[in-house]
Amino acid sequence: MEQEIIALLRRREEAGIELLVRHYGALMRYIVTPILPREQDREECLSEITAKIWEKIDQFDLQKGSWSAWLTAVSRNTALNHARRQAAHDDVEELTEAVPSDQPTPEEQVMRQELQAALSAALMQLSFQDRTLFYRKYYYLQPTAQIAAELGMTERAVEGKLYRIKKRLRGRLGGVIHD
Amino acid sequence: MTDRNWDPAEERKFDAMLESGLPELPPKEIVEEVTPWRGAFNRVLVGIVFGTVTLNFLWLDYILPAIGAVLSLLGYRALRRENRWFGGCFWLTVLSSAYFFPALILNTTILAGLPMIQTLQNRMAIVGFALRLAEFVCLWRGMGRVQQKVGLAAEGNGVKSLIFWYLLVGALAAVGYSGWIIFIGVLVSYYFIIRSIYRLSKAMDEAGYTIQAVPVKVSDSRLIKIIGAALLAGGVLGYLLGGSYPMDWQEAQPDQSSDTAELKTQLAELGFPEYVLDDLSAEDLAACKGALKVVYDVQDKKVERAGTKDLRVTGVAVQLAEPEGQWVVFHHFLWTRDINFYGTEAIQLWPVYRDIDEGWAADGEVTGRLLYDRGGKTFAAPYYFLGNQTYTQDSIFWGQQSKTDVFAAFSLPRAGEHCRGYVTYQTRNIQSGYLFNSWFNYTHQRTWLQYPVITAMESRMKNCWNTAGAFYTVQDALQFYPFKEDGGRIHEIG
Repeated sequence: MEQEIIALLRRREEAGIELLVRHYGALMRYIVTPILPREQDREECLSEITAKIWEKIDQFDLQKGSWSAWLTAVSRNTALNHARRQAAHDDVEELTEAVPSDQPTPEEQVMRQELQAALSAALMQLSFQDRTLFYRKYYYLQPTAQIAAELGMTERAVEGKLYRIKKRLRGRLGGVIHD
Repeated sequence: MTDRNWDPAEERKFDAMLESGLPELPPKEIVEEVTPWRGAFNRVLVGIVFGTVTLNFLWLDYILPAIGAVLSLLGYRALRRENRWFGGCFWLTVLSSAYFFPALILNTTILAGLPMIQTLQNRMAIVGFALRLAEFVCLWRGMGRVQQKVGLAAEGNGVKSLIFWYLLVGALAAVGYSGWIIFIGVLVSYYFIIRSIYRLSKAMDEAGYTIQAVPVKVSDSRLIKIIGAALLAGGVLGYLLGGSYPMDWQEAQPDQSSDTAELKTQLAELGFPEYVLDDLSAEDLAACKGALKVVYDVQDKKVERAGTKDLRVTGVAVQLAEPEGQWVVFHHFLWTRDINFYGTEAIQLWPVYRDIDEGWAADGEVTGRLLYDRGGKTFAAPYYFLGNQTYTQDSIFWGQQSKTDVFAAFSLPRAGEHCRGYVTYQTRNIQSGYLFNSWFNYTHQRTWLQYPVITAMESRMKNCWNTAGAFYTVQDALQFYPFKEDGGRIHEIG
């Protein structure tokens, strides 16, 4: 199904959009919901996401990440931009929904790459469960209640675990933070 | 958590840094993991596999279904509010667990072997089968609902196949079929069905994002610990309190009448061992009135693993003057040192007429009693069970055999000294020339370590070997030629 949708979108066939929404609409909504609490915003955002995917489909590269990961990134970044627009009502610089999301200065870019490398290395020291929990919180921006429900934990347990993860990361990223 | 002393502003800055430090594209394995559906459904799936496949070794037939029941509970707990079918799955699993977990605890007691409990368990097995079938139907409908919710066509062939497979297995079990070809076929089909369900679960990932997981007040890990602790506590109590028979011990009142004393003297003069005579009840002693001859045999046996010989077994046969050819037989045992473990004991009696019915005939019932000493007093109790038991035994030599034997089942008190007892019966010699051959098989429980718990009598009925799990059997035979004038003592203390 995944290959079929990608092929249709690349051929600019609208059936691709229809299939995309049918099969991946639930995923997009799942990503967007924690970021946009209002239903109306979510509906607008979902339309935006499909439009972005239609526009940026040629940027999808399986070598860089899976189809689901790319859809997740596009949905998340579009939702974040939507939320920022709603919050500021001004010309806040938007994340580009496709990769990369930002246009920082060369110096910022170097620092960010250093941070990403350090964080990536630090995250690899965590267990898979802890890493997933971390991504849920800091990438998917899911509220604690949602994380707790989906992992069969209490909110307090989630908070405790996140605290311990952050404490470990703080120790490992100390040098990068102070730089 | 007392060291949470980070400055809030600092923490927000750190959080922002963590957010910005993550890569644009999340790793594939994280994307696959972050779903409200996969974890819960995988638990359900593994629960189905563990709960349905039975591996009868290393207690896996109990361990895997127990893990399966817990996983099913946790899986359906997360999905139960998604639709009423998943809710049905959850409550059906709760119902199954309400029977399954207490049954696991019951297996740590000897109660599980009671005929009434076994009948109940057989009925509950049928109920359990029906509940599992209903669970599969609910699962199939529940998955369909989730797919329909997002406009996808309902696919549930894997679950439908599972339902038919389960019905087939149930039908085979009902007719008692155990052929290898169908067994292998069923096993292979089961593998493919589970694989198709797994694939379906992956397909469900698309629709599964719509599922709203239910917030929990008790976390999965805590629930697992609670169930584990309850099973452990129940098991410990079961082993401590349910591992032996309730015995009716009463202080023994010795019969000090002159008739009894005279009879004892007479029997002792004929060679009847006095320590056995002292243990006989008035009725059993009276049965020896008019004794002509006494033949006895004493053997010391090693029953416990460590130490020296600890069980003295004495066989005594008393020939009566009247009626002619009448014998009274006693098989007596005496623990000569403290027992290491007090669980259940059993005596399996093979009377002289069991195998040589051309020469010997039964005359009356088997009786007997148990005794022990404490604080200078003697206590006595009837056996918990004494009578015939019909049972089926599998033997690699003779196949499946149905047998009926006399059994005595009992437990001995922890505080008792000189724990002992005897069984006695009468027999009539209906044709001379036959060997007197009476067997006494004593089965002792050496350790509490067995699951499910069975009694010494059940162990003896299941196994013909002397060493069987927690049990050990010693055998003694009183054998002599009664028609020989010198057919007296065959053995002294062995």
